[in-house]
Amino acid sequence: MKLVSFYVTLFAIAVGVSVALGLSALLGESPILVAEVMLRGSVGTATALGYSLFYATPLIFTGLAVAWALKGGLFNIGAEGQMTIGGVAMAIVGILLQDLSAWVAWPLAMAVGFSAGAFWGWIVGWLKVHRGVHEVLGSILLNFISYGIAGLFILNIFRNADSPNPETIAVGSGFEFSLLHLIGGTSPLNIAFVFALMAAGLFDFFIRRSKSGLYLRWVGGSPEFARRSGVSISRETIRAMMISGGLAGLAGASVIFGYMHKAREGFAGGAGFVGIAVALLGRSNAWGVVAAGLLFGCLQKGSLDLDIDTENISRDLAVVIQALIVIAVAARPVIEDPIRNWIARRAKVVQ
Amino acid sequence: MDIFIAFMESTIRVSVPLLFAAYGGLISERAGLANVALEGLLLLSAFTGAAAAAVTQNAWVGLGAGVVAGALGGLVFGVTAIKSRADHIVIGIAFNMLVAGLIPTVCRAWFGVTGGTPQLDRESRLTSDVALFILAIFIGALLYWALRSTRWGLRLKAAGDQPDALTVQGVSASFVRIQAAVLCGVVVGLGGIDLSLTQGSGYIRDMAGGRGFIALAALIFGGWRPLQTGLACLLFAAADAVQMLLQGKSVFDYAIPNSIIQIVPYVATILLLALRRSSMNAPRAINQPL
Repeated sequence: MKLVSFYVTLFAIAVGVSVALGLSALLGESPILVAEVMLRGSVGTATALGYSLFYATPLIFTGLAVAWALKGGLFNIGAEGQMTIGGVAMAIVGILLQDLSAWVAWPLAMAVGFSAGAFWGWIVGWLKVHRGVHEVLGSILLNFISYGIAGLFILNIFRNADSPNPETIAVGSGFEFSLLHLIGGTSPLNIAFVFALMAAGLFDFFIRRSKSGLYLRWVGGSPEFARRSGVSISRETIRAMMISGGLAGLAGASVIFGYMHKAREGFAGGAGFVGIAVALLGRSNAWGVVAAGLLFGCLQKGSLDLDIDTENISRDLAVVIQALIVIAVAARPVIEDPIRNWIARRAKVVQ
Repeated sequence: MDIFIAFMESTIRVSVPLLFAAYGGLISERAGLANVALEGLLLLSAFTGAAAAAVTQNAWVGLGAGVVAGALGGLVFGVTAIKSRADHIVIGIAFNMLVAGLIPTVCRAWFGVTGGTPQLDRESRLTSDVALFILAIFIGALLYWALRSTRWGLRLKAAGDQPDALTVQGVSASFVRIQAAVLCGVVVGLGGIDLSLTQGSGYIRDMAGGRGFIALAALIFGGWRPLQTGLACLLFAAADAVQMLLQGKSVFDYAIPNSIIQIVPYVATILLLALRRSSMNAPRAINQPL
């Protein structure tokens, strides 16, 4: 049965990609050329692959964030804001503590990013539990507020006056993440990618083996059962939003410490929103999220060359493909249920 | 006094797209179709309207094209959300993504740039803010009446509160929800047109700037009722107008950074939502598959 879901998910991805390629044909661009440019750009060379993994890194973090909340039946569409707040907090610590060595700096930065993101998620959870504000609405509004707060720190308080770009002064050298040249060639792929995989491992462990993971699944799967078993839904809701926000808060680490070495305005770049699609495609399963994050990272990197190498199509085609995949995955029951019924009927006949 | 008039003017101007988007959302949500796709619908109709006006040099063609695009967008969103039996919010987010990707893709193929449509001249724009404002208020009044006193309104509410009751009567709840989605697209489309043909002169990337979500907040804060929703839109518009007036001003010799001023409306929205447990009034069968 699990195999059915897997193949149907693959089918959904194929549907999304084909529809988008059909669209490019409609707009007068050869679908074969588009596919070739995207493949070459995403996995063609070691450096291209490194960039794809670099793009995938924040997506894995935000995908895990959204997935954790989904396990508890919550829709965290505020990962973008939590990522922004977490990233700004990390950058501030990096700027203020210029002389720290990497052994202290890295864990400290990750802890600060997690806590700041968790705080931003906590607001959403608190508003839902105590004031009845739906988490979707609360997190959308907090996204906008986070941009303003990030702007205050990046454009006013820590702004680098000598730079023409809207960015802060540089973080201490101890905060610079090591690059992974072995896999990534000359790309900015860095140790944060490994952290993302570790986060996925921890996610998987906590969901399966820990009490809080169990409670979370109860609250998400069957709230009434959870309540009767003495689990406080309010407390689990707030905790789920905090962990979700914390995971999203880590998503900025790769680009801030591995690439920019400072915070630039808009560093989140929509990774929080793509994370929603990643979590849905990965079916809220840790390794599914990693796989989906890798796929979407490749799509993002591969689409960049479309701006230059094609006449009529732009990098935005990647967003179209991602949206179509989400729709196809969400509409999966339409394909899946008949297949499951058929298998069930076959099983009966055999018996 | 001047500042008061400026404040009133910008409140009215800002409120127009909010009112249209919120009333569009009200139609769809009262029918049980949870609608986070308002942002995408605004962008879709703003772009299509501006593109049609740019090509034909005619504002009325732009208006018509924007409304039709809104209706088609609403149809696609509604049919996908209802027929897939998936979570409406997931489909809404995907719809927003789809529009956000499609517009620049199509824009580059048609106009050579991804950033927006060519600048429109005076003749191919709609120049009256006030006419659209009055139309928005009129739609609100119409909804107020229709939800109470027409068969259409009662069926709409039934589809949102208790779809089974419709089925018993032999009315298809799916059909009621889908026609609500189309109507929602038409109304939101007028808001999109206001953005690109009245307030702006052409489409620029992401020009809705979160108004679809603010409209959703206004709808929820207004308890899904037309009068209160309209007032909530005006309130949020006033907060935005204050924000615009404050920009570049200093208080007690201290220049407030613009990034802080810009979040005033959002902070105000959250505080207002937190003050009132408004989600109690939600349609009972919202976001539930049929």
